[in-house]
Amino acid sequence: MQKKECIAMLLAGGQGSRLGALTSKIAKPAVAFGGKYRIIDFSLSNCVNSKIDTVGVLIQYRPLMLNSYLGTGAPWDLDEQEGGVFVLPPYATQAGGEWYSGTADSVLKNIDFIDSYNPEYVLIISGDHLYTMDYNRMLEFHKKNQAELTVSVIEVPIEEASRFGIITAGEDGRIVKFSEKPAHPDSTLASMGIYIFDWPVLRAALQADALNPESEHDFGKNVIPMLLEERRRLFAYAFSGYWRDVGTIESYYEANMALLADDCEFDIFSENANIYSNANIFPPHYVGEKGVVQNSLICNGCIVEGEVRNSILSTEAYVGPGAKVEDSILLPGARVESGARVMRAIVGERAVIEVNAYFGSLDQSQPIAVIGDNEHVADDLWSGRY
Amino acid sequence: MAGRIFGIISCNYNDDSFGQLTAVRSVASLPFGGRYRLLDFAISNMVNSGIRTIGLVTPYQYRSILDHVGAGKEWSLDRKHGGLFLLPGSIYGPKGAHCSFMLRDIIKNQPYLDRAKADTVLICGSSKVFNMDFRPMFAAHEAAGGGITMLYKKVSDSAARDALYLDLEGDMVKNMTRETIGAANCFMDCFLIDKKLLLNFVEWYQNFSHIDMTEIMNDNLETLPIHAYPFEGYLGQVNSINDYMRCSQDLLRAEIRQELFGGPAKIRTKIEDNPPAKYSAEAEVRNSLVPTGCQIDGLVENSILFRGVKVKKGAQVRNCVIMSKCVIEEGALLENVICDKFVTISSGNKLSGTEAKPLVIGKNSNI
Repeated sequence: MQKKECIAMLLAGGQGSRLGALTSKIAKPAVAFGGKYRIIDFSLSNCVNSKIDTVGVLIQYRPLMLNSYLGTGAPWDLDEQEGGVFVLPPYATQAGGEWYSGTADSVLKNIDFIDSYNPEYVLIISGDHLYTMDYNRMLEFHKKNQAELTVSVIEVPIEEASRFGIITAGEDGRIVKFSEKPAHPDSTLASMGIYIFDWPVLRAALQADALNPESEHDFGKNVIPMLLEERRRLFAYAFSGYWRDVGTIESYYEANMALLADDCEFDIFSENANIYSNANIFPPHYVGEKGVVQNSLICNGCIVEGEVRNSILSTEAYVGPGAKVEDSILLPGARVESGARVMRAIVGERAVIEVNAYFGSLDQSQPIAVIGDNEHVADDLWSGRY
Repeated sequence: MAGRIFGIISCNYNDDSFGQLTAVRSVASLPFGGRYRLLDFAISNMVNSGIRTIGLVTPYQYRSILDHVGAGKEWSLDRKHGGLFLLPGSIYGPKGAHCSFMLRDIIKNQPYLDRAKADTVLICGSSKVFNMDFRPMFAAHEAAGGGITMLYKKVSDSAARDALYLDLEGDMVKNMTRETIGAANCFMDCFLIDKKLLLNFVEWYQNFSHIDMTEIMNDNLETLPIHAYPFEGYLGQVNSINDYMRCSQDLLRAEIRQELFGGPAKIRTKIEDNPPAKYSAEAEVRNSLVPTGCQIDGLVENSILFRGVKVKKGAQVRNCVIMSKCVIEEGALLENVICDKFVTISSGNKLSGTEAKPLVIGKNSNI
C-alpha cells in the first residue's frame, strides 16, 4: 500500500445519548444539521479540504445510517484508488469478539489498518463536532515543534470549563497539565478532541494503555495523561473560530438557529466554505401562492404552502396549506400537514404533525419540543390552543 | 432490459431558434427547472428504465455537456461494463434543417454499435421534458416482433410547434408530416430500433449520410414495420425561447412537478455542494421554485431560480427564469425576463419582456 504522511481516524461510534429522540435510531454523527447536512459532513469535509485522503471511520452504535450515508465516500471525493473512506466496525477474532471499550481502544483495534499506510502522523478527530478547520496548519505546528502529540485547543468561558478536557500550557505551547472534566478548572483552554500523534508514539501508547487494567481506554482520561507523565513532547495548538460540540437538545437547537443570523459565526454560506454532503437529488423547493418564508433556511425537495418563520426546513420537508412553522427545525422528510402549528420544536426525519395538530410552544421557559424519526403527532381535539 | 437494449442520445441538434441561450451551448445542455439541464431527462429516463449502456452524440458546442455529464457518475454510468460513451457528432448540416438523428453520426460511431452486446437500440433526442419508464414500450416493441417503434403523444396544438407528426392506422405508422393543424400525434424524438435494422440503414444510405433517420423511415414506410407507442403523461417541448419559458412555468403546477420529480424514478443531475437557500426577514416568495445556494432578500413571484442566485432587498422578480449565480441588486425590477448564468442586474434597473416574448439577457452580462 502507498505510504501516507498523515491519515485520519474519525471517532463516530458514540451514541450521543443526551440528544434523546434524535439518536434513538441513529448515531450522533448521522444526525441531520443545518438543513442539508449530517453532523459528520463537517469533519469529513475538513479532511478533504485539508487534503487528507485516507479516513478510517470508527463506528459502533447504530451504524446503519452512517454506513449507507458514507457509501463509497464519493460525495466527499473520498473514493480514492489509494486510500479513501473506510468504515471500521468492531470485529471478532480467534479469541472471540468484543466491542470498542473506549476511544483509544477503538483505534488500538485498528492498528493493522493504520500500519497498512505506514503513516508518519495520525490525526484523531470526532465525527460529532461542528467547525471548519485546516488540519494542515495544525500539522505544520506539530512538525515545527517536533511534538509527539499536538492537541487542538480553544478558549472557553470558565463557567463551562468543567465540561471539557482542560489544558495548561507554557508560553511555547508545551502542555504542562491536562485534566479531563475538572471540577475546579484552573484554565480556560479546552481540548477540542482533535489530536495529531506521531504514529510510533501513539502505537506504543495504545499498546501500553491496553495492558493497564485500571484504564478506561479513553484518549482524554488515560492516554494523554499517561504521555504527559512520561514527559513526552505534548503541545497545544490554539484554534480560534467557530467550534461546537452539540451534546444536548438545547445546544443542537441553538447551533442550528444561529445559522439564521445575518452575521452567522459558523460560515457555511461563503463561496469557499466547501462543505460536502451526500445529497439526494430533489428538485428545487417550491413556495406556493400563499406560502410565506421569512428568515429561514430551505432545502431542495421542500414544499411550502403555509407559513415558515425563523426555521430550518431540511431536504424534502413539507408544510401544508394554513400550517405554521415558527422557530423550529424540520428534519429531512418531516411533514407538517395543513392547519398544523409547530413552535420551538424539532420534528424528526419523516415524522408527521398531522392535520390541525399543535406541537411545541413559543413560551421560552418551556423546553424545546422534540418528536423522533417516523413518529406522528395527532390533533388531540381537547387540549387548549395557544 | 439492461442487457437487451442500449441507448443513444442525440444532442446534435439544430438550435437557431434559441438566440443567445444557445450561443455557447447546445439545446441539450440548456439549464432547466432550477437545477437540471434538458439532457438530464433523456439520460435519467434511460437509466431509470434499466439501461446501463448509453452513447451520447455530442453537438458542435459540447463543452457544457462534457462539464455536466463527466463520467456519468450521477447516473450510475461510471461502470466497468457498459456505462456512458461519448460519441463525437459530425458537423451539423445546413442551417434551418430539422435534423435530430443524422445517420452520419451513427456511421461515424459505428464501432459503438458493433461492440454493444444488445440487439435493440433506444434512440432518444435531448430537448423533450418528460419522465417515463421505457420498459412497457420495449415490451410492446418485442410483442410487435421488433422493427421500429416510435414514441408519440397526442397533442391538440400541433400547428403551434414545429415537430414531426405521425398518421396512424391502429398502431402502425402510415405517414409522417411536419404540417398539421389541431389534434395530432406528436413524435417525441424517441424510438426503438433493432440493431440489425439500424445497421441496414447504414448500409443503404452510406452515400446520403446527411439524411435524418426519420426521413429514412418515411422513405421506407411501405416496407418497414414501423409501430407507434403512445405516451400519456406530461410532455414539455422546448423548441424556442417561448417554449422554454412556458415549459419552465409549467413546473409551478403541482401535478406536473409531482409527475416529473415526485415519483420513485428521479431525474438525476450533476450535484453541486451548495448550502440551503437562505431567506431573510424581508423575503417575499410566492409560487416559485428556489434551489439550494440562493439568498433571497427581495420579492420573487411565479419564477424559477437556479442555484446560487441572489435577490437583494427591494428587488422584484416576476415571471422570470434566473439562471445560476445571477445577482439581482437592490431595487431592480424584472418581469418576463430570462437571465442566463452569471448575470448581474444592478440597482434600479427595470427590465421587462412580455409573456409572449420574454426578454433574454445573455450570459455574463452586467446590466
